[in-house]
Amino acid sequence: MPADGLVSQMRRGALEYCVLALIREPPRYAFELIEALGRTGMLTTEGTLYPLLSRLRRDGLVKTDWRESTDGPPRRYYELTTEGRRALTAFKNEWTSFRGAVDGILQEGKKP
Amino acid sequence: MTAPHADQLIDGYLARIRAAAGDLPAAARNELLDDMRSHIAEARVHDLEETDASILNILDRLGEPATVVAEAPDRLGIHPSPPYRPGFLEVAAVILVPFLWPVGVILLWMSPAWHWRDKLIGTVIPPGGYIGLSYILLAGTTTGSSCTTIRDQAGHLLQSSCTGSPGLPGVVAVLWAILLFGSPLISATYLALRLRWGSPRQTAATA
Repeated sequence: MPADGLVSQMRRGALEYCVLALIREPPRYAFELIEALGRTGMLTTEGTLYPLLSRLRRDGLVKTDWRESTDGPPRRYYELTTEGRRALTAFKNEWTSFRGAVDGILQEGKKP
Repeated sequence: MTAPHADQLIDGYLARIRAAAGDLPAAARNELLDDMRSHIAEARVHDLEETDASILNILDRLGEPATVVAEAPDRLGIHPSPPYRPGFLEVAAVILVPFLWPVGVILLWMSPAWHWRDKLIGTVIPPGGYIGLSYILLAGTTTGSSCTTIRDQAGHLLQSSCTGSPGLPGVVAVLWAILLFGSPLISATYLALRLRWGSPRQTAATA
């Protein structure tokens, strides 16, 4: 399928905003994020999420804190920063108009 | 709980991650390893019927170490530059340094394919390439040594005196001439050999 490369690029690009959206409220730990992303097919190689999370933290879009857990090792929770919230809002607006534009054209194309 | 090789499998996987992450800055590598360890520990808590197979499944889903680490440079903001491939610029520089010195030397210093030490050697041995050599030789014939001969009207030699350095003994002079005239070519050959074919340039940014 020729669009395979494009789709994986799009998925890759959208992934970080999906992560930001998932931790909007409440904060989550990486394993939860992986489960949520895995269910939707957004993430196939689970390990690749960790370098992404590191970058989001370095860019100041997320902040983390360690919390004890009752049933396992301590967990690092990821939470949106104000800047992360702003980035997410900006992406949502872009995405909505992008999706609208593409959908509109694809629908037009169907008409005889 | 029948995973007799759990530790072995996990340690093996982490070792492969560590090896694959060899080029990352130590802080980034350690962070990645810590994340992997936490992930595996967490996954094992959720793994109710732990077996060697289920451990392998956890590691398999994490991904090939090379794939995970390949994500890191981009995601961590480190961009290793692609290897520099010498091309026209370098070929032109090697040819022009001996024969058209100023142009060749400019090209030489423009190219990232040489270490600065090699560029310096290419520039000063000999200074000016063949153009420089001919200047040196011209200067040598006009100021280095000159001979005056006095002849009578019939053309018989009366007196001959030379100033300046006496001529070198034959063999040494020939060797010296070969070395002198060969030096631009030797220098160019040296530059051609020292080209860093496809070696990676310095990474620009480390986070």
